[in-house]
Amino acid sequence: MTRHVIETDLALYATGDLPFWRNALVNLHVRRCDECRDLLEALRADRQELRRSINELPANVDWDQLAAEMTANIRVGLAAGECVTPREHKVAAISWRPAAIAAGLVMLMAGAWWLNIPRTDTEAIGRALRNMATGRRVPQEERGPVVGASSSGVEVLENGGRMGIEQSGLHPVMYSVSTQGSASARYVDQDTGQVTITAVYDQ
Amino acid sequence: MTNRIYIAIAVSALSLHAQGLNHKIDFPKDSPVSVLSADFGNSNATARGANLIEVNAALSLRNSGQKRIRSMTLMVSAPDAAGKGSVSVPTLDAGPGETFSVHIGTRLVRPLAAGNPVVEVTLDGVLFDDLSFFGPDMLHSQRSMIMWELEAQRDRKYFKSLLASRGAEELGKEMRLSLARQADSSQRGVQMVRGRATNIDAEREAQFAFLDIPESPVEASSGIARIGSSLAGAPRFEVRNRSSRAVAHLEVGWIVKDQQGREFLAASMPADLKLAPNQSGQVAQDAALRFDRPVSIQSMSGFVSSVEFADGTQWIPSRGALDQPRLRPLVAPSPEEQRLSQIYNKRGLPALIAELNKF
Repeated sequence: MTRHVIETDLALYATGDLPFWRNALVNLHVRRCDECRDLLEALRADRQELRRSINELPANVDWDQLAAEMTANIRVGLAAGECVTPREHKVAAISWRPAAIAAGLVMLMAGAWWLNIPRTDTEAIGRALRNMATGRRVPQEERGPVVGASSSGVEVLENGGRMGIEQSGLHPVMYSVSTQGSASARYVDQDTGQVTITAVYDQ
Repeated sequence: MTNRIYIAIAVSALSLHAQGLNHKIDFPKDSPVSVLSADFGNSNATARGANLIEVNAALSLRNSGQKRIRSMTLMVSAPDAAGKGSVSVPTLDAGPGETFSVHIGTRLVRPLAAGNPVVEVTLDGVLFDDLSFFGPDMLHSQRSMIMWELEAQRDRKYFKSLLASRGAEELGKEMRLSLARQADSSQRGVQMVRGRATNIDAEREAQFAFLDIPESPVEASSGIARIGSSLAGAPRFEVRNRSSRAVAHLEVGWIVKDQQGREFLAASMPADLKLAPNQSGQVAQDAALRFDRPVSIQSMSGFVSSVEFADGTQWIPSRGALDQPRLRPLVAPSPEEQRLSQIYNKRGLPALIAELNKF
């Protein structure tokens, strides 16, 4: 079921003042809709009544005076309505264009970050932000040289640079560090038993 | 027009992201090892503020010398990258003309620079069965390689004598014990920081309790280190050369016990110092250990794990000395013991006996 024709359109339709395309649509609707057809008939009847009553008006009516009084009454009515009607919060209409531009900029920034900022720096910034949020004391970032050994292999870090040595995703069977600035990890080939030792040095 | 800008941005991003990786393999002309082939197929470099370089290389090498090769170390480096790396194969037995392969897996982060990044693989050293050495030894790998070979000789001799005196069943039992020890490792991830140990946030000083190995040519004593939350640093201790030969280098194992009473080998403390017979000296190191998980250090101990004499020969503990109840679970098996136990595990006792009989 299509929606009813709004009353202003029906009024204009009744007087033959609607544009051609709109007039055809309203015409189509009122043929099928009893409710709108009744309203249309009522509007036409009012119009006929108004034409008849024009002939009964006094001869010396001051139309300008009457128009001024009606305008003043309407303004008073609107002002009074403003006072008693709850104020509505105006919601700013969000246009899709600025939203799309903002989304594009965010994607561009994320892409630029991903391409240009090393993962370690991103992680360090994340840690720092978390520490700031939780109020924890932030230890001074180690700039190296530092050598490390763990179950994921060995690595040396210095001034943001990093070198890690591993063996095709294998886990070392043992690893160690030395106070002379080296770290080593030992891998065993499960098939041949061949042992490989990887190491890094801070020299 | 707008579409062209988008395309230009996308092309620029792609060209920034993917870079070629150059590699260079540089062996001395008189090297006893020659490169048969090098496959860097899975290696790549990406640029994200810095060069992220992943090297996955398989080298096929041949012993082009006249002696049997027991171990080899390759150095891996990149200009402007942090530090250096190495890949060693300590349990080789490659005769003249025989081939062997080495896999190199490396991840590097280095500052962005003009041109494609370069990774260099060079020969650092080759050790032969007569303990002679070839190579520039830039990483001081000769010492480690001799130690691996001495440990390999010691362990093969032990297993062969066990086989001869107590039979194959006992050899198999020993291998099963070794595999169980290897599986029961209690290692911790640890970092070593050098040069700023005096600035560490230490809470107290703790003493080392040194485990005495009677046959050791060097005795360590009076050790102390600063310890804090999950870190320990600035170790120093006394050493005395109780042998009749001059000592040039020694290495001490650093054992840490946590509050649960678990002990683990945290680091090694190598020291270059000249000690005449009966001479004493002090070792002090400006380095700090930092554990990757919270560790409350309850106590520390140490033991002399190797000694190099002034004539270049080395001492390593015998298997009997390492069988001390305190040391056995802490000291890692030699690379050769790991190789032999893996052969036993994978191919059984007959294969292990056949392997031992090769030497």
